[in-house]
Amino acid sequence: MMHAFESIQIAQSGLAQLAFPSEMSNSVLAPYLFVSAAMFAIGLVGFLTRKNMIIMFLCTELMFQAAGLALIAFGRQHLGSDGQTFVIFVLCVAAAEAAMALALVVLLFRHRESLSASAWKELNG
Amino acid sequence: MEHIISPIALYLVCGIGAVGVALALPRRAQSKTIEYLGAIVLAAAFGLAALLLGLKATESGEPMPNFFFYPFAIIGIGASVRMITHKRPVYSALYFIMTIIASCGMYLLLSAEFMAFALIIIYAGAILITYLFVIMLATQAPSSDAEEKLDEVDAVAREPMLACGIGFVLVGLITTAMFRGIGDLPPVEMSQSQAANSVLAQLPKKVDKILEREGLLEEGWSVARDHETGLAKIDVDARTIEIVLLGQDSHGHDAVSSSRTITADEWPESLAANNLDRLGFNLLNDHPMMIEVAGIILLMAMLGATVLARKHIELEDDLKAAQARRLGTMFNDGNNGFDDGYDEPQATGGQA
Repeated sequence: MMHAFESIQIAQSGLAQLAFPSEMSNSVLAPYLFVSAAMFAIGLVGFLTRKNMIIMFLCTELMFQAAGLALIAFGRQHLGSDGQTFVIFVLCVAAAEAAMALALVVLLFRHRESLSASAWKELNG
Repeated sequence: MEHIISPIALYLVCGIGAVGVALALPRRAQSKTIEYLGAIVLAAAFGLAALLLGLKATESGEPMPNFFFYPFAIIGIGASVRMITHKRPVYSALYFIMTIIASCGMYLLLSAEFMAFALIIIYAGAILITYLFVIMLATQAPSSDAEEKLDEVDAVAREPMLACGIGFVLVGLITTAMFRGIGDLPPVEMSQSQAANSVLAQLPKKVDKILEREGLLEEGWSVARDHETGLAKIDVDARTIEIVLLGQDSHGHDAVSSSRTITADEWPESLAANNLDRLGFNLLNDHPMMIEVAGIILLMAMLGATVLARKHIELEDDLKAAQARRLGTMFNDGNNGFDDGYDEPQATGGQA
């Protein structure tokens, strides 16, 4: 409980305190990585199970998000800014992917009047 | 990885999580009870994970993550599960925004303030709005009698058991690999203050400003700069700064008339490079190629999206001819010598 109280005090003293990074132990890094892995898997499960193409692409965004969290956590571990720089790049790729994917969805919807991925079965092989 | 979480417990957590997600996924004739059951099982799985990680950490006396990590993690994972299980796409997109905001919280705890707010602006503000637009564009308007009826596409999940099995085997593998790997990470070479302040030497004006505000610089004084590189003479390890008073020598050139060193005791607490300084230097100094590549990717995506989504308008042949005739007469009546080539044969013949 003491720990929680200290954290609240740190948060109250403002972001200026948090901005100064100190070394982070592995036991602090591990939960972030666990959350990142779980978010990635949830995105994967969503991509595999849902039939709506829009939600499938939304799930890929969730996977990007999970990768970004892992990058930031590892970057913080190394006290460097490389992780954050790579997240900028991930964001850029995610935006490009969203634009392309949504254009594709609109195109496919115009042809079949349906968002179902299985409406395009004959594209197999 | 034994010192972080025991592998058996990790696989157990993954298995319980898989069952929870499988129960919560949409299926035909689903009752609310099964959905709630799925949510409870899932919550139990992540509660167990948090408990195990926390117990191990206290056992070995290691620090735990910030208290605020737990609410952000719960909201993030809960919203992402709700995102893949909700039957209406609009709600899925809104839950995804919630996931993003929760991960922004985690970014703040990892002292990546700039990325946290950039993420809200770019993801929640731009990308997700695009998604919402497309969801509204690409959905048939419900007829008035069937307003509450869901699309078949959204109502049923495909192979939920198999996919959850695969997904959570993957969590087990990724976490095992990462937890094993973080034990072998090379030790951080920089000291804490070095990491924070290594870019300060490249920001002499910022240092000037902060020192002035702290009352350490008198009128005319400034931070000494290296003649060749222009870097400020700051020793981040020893926490000393060289400051000079610039005057003019007998020939009228700038010359140092007096200099002094600010020692570690005087080093003001507010003199530190912030997240944005460090990120900006890292992006522009160490990864300039990446900016070019990002530009090309975005350009290609823009072109591709425009080409893919444009609408081919098929006009009837007689409509086309009528349009052409109208244009032709418009130009010919003015008798300005225009011939757009779409005119009737005898008209073009007359011109020739």
